[in-house]
Amino acid sequence: MKNKYIFILSITFVSSLLLSLFSEGLKEKTLFNIQLDKKKNLLQTIGMNTDILTTDEILKEFNDNIKEITLDLSGNVLSDVNHDQFVTKENNATGELKYYIDENEYLPLFLSETMNAIIIPISGKGLWSSLYGYFAIDKNNFSTVKGITFYKHGETPGLGAEITKEWFKSSFTGKEVYLDDSIESIKVTKAGQANENSLYEVNGISGATITSRGVEDLLKRDLLRYENYFRKNK
Amino acid sequence: MNKKIFLDPLVDNNPISKQVLGICSALAVTVKLEQAVVMTLALTFVVTMSNVIISILRNYIPSSVRIIVQLTVISTLVSLIDKALAAYMYDLSKSLSVFIALIVTNCIVMGRADGFAMQNNVKDSFLDGLGNGIGYGIMLILVAFFRELFGFGTIFDIRIFSESFNNGLMILAPGAFIILGLIIWAQRSLTSVVEE
Repeated sequence: MKNKYIFILSITFVSSLLLSLFSEGLKEKTLFNIQLDKKKNLLQTIGMNTDILTTDEILKEFNDNIKEITLDLSGNVLSDVNHDQFVTKENNATGELKYYIDENEYLPLFLSETMNAIIIPISGKGLWSSLYGYFAIDKNNFSTVKGITFYKHGETPGLGAEITKEWFKSSFTGKEVYLDDSIESIKVTKAGQANENSLYEVNGISGATITSRGVEDLLKRDLLRYENYFRKNK
Repeated sequence: MNKKIFLDPLVDNNPISKQVLGICSALAVTVKLEQAVVMTLALTFVVTMSNVIISILRNYIPSSVRIIVQLTVISTLVSLIDKALAAYMYDLSKSLSVFIALIVTNCIVMGRADGFAMQNNVKDSFLDGLGNGIGYGIMLILVAFFRELFGFGTIFDIRIFSESFNNGLMILAPGAFIILGLIIWAQRSLTSVVEE
């Protein structure tokens, strides 16, 4: 019955060889897709329609419009650190992403001179999964919202996944995050209950209260992380 | 004879509506037609290829470890698809990824490998896999058609009903249960098949 073991061993050997070859061969393309998707989402936050752009156009628009900036925790701009060096760690309880080089924590930031905006990465827990996205605000007053996107999530299609839909994202545009001198952020109310005249409220998603609340929480928390930078440059 | 192997699972012996297998994914990925179509292609590829490979190896596989061998073959194929989707259809793989991985646990694939490919020649196994994959797909697309139409008011994201038409029940799992139940009921009363 030695035969049996040899058979299993050779089957597993062949499949693992096949898989690793395949995976290695497609690695570059997959990583490129992930990066491209993030760039697409960054461009969307500053109001660009990326659906009509080809891959090359997206890369070009990105290089023309968006600059990567790195901050330390007290909000100073560091010119010698770029985003590729970051090691990202996620807090599994809150879905918060933190960026490290060695043991030091940094904050990534995107600047768009052309569209007069700064973009911060946002992330946090929804109902089933962590939500990852970008949030753009005016670069002069750090308050007026330019746009929001989510590039990765695992919420229910038709319910929590509505966070990626135009109606939800566009409801943030033009709102304010600063009230007097403190960050008020934006409240995501129950569906249909937002005060239309309020600059600090948007409608939540019907049937997805926990995802809506997750968006509200992560927005405020991630904005507060950049408060030092806002205060210094306001 | 060969024709029957291919045609049988399409309607008369459909893996979903007759054998009631693979219900999990039939409920999960039928919210939108596009997802259902890609899922169909992926499953058809996996079940056909696994049938062919198992059939080629059938005389060498020691019977005491046959399930392990089948699982290895199936999960390898599924991982290949998963990686290919991430590289070439990234947007779609984002919305499908977890369900593609779950093809491994789809009873149809395992059932055909162990129940058919282990006893039959390569050509028949190929036809059987193809037939079962397409039979599964017919049901998936049928269910997705009704769910997308009544849930979102669209077909392949093309708007049929007005924007305000949005039925939450159809989008959630109960909608799939109801539609699938109705289809199974309709088929059984038309063919007057009774479960033994």
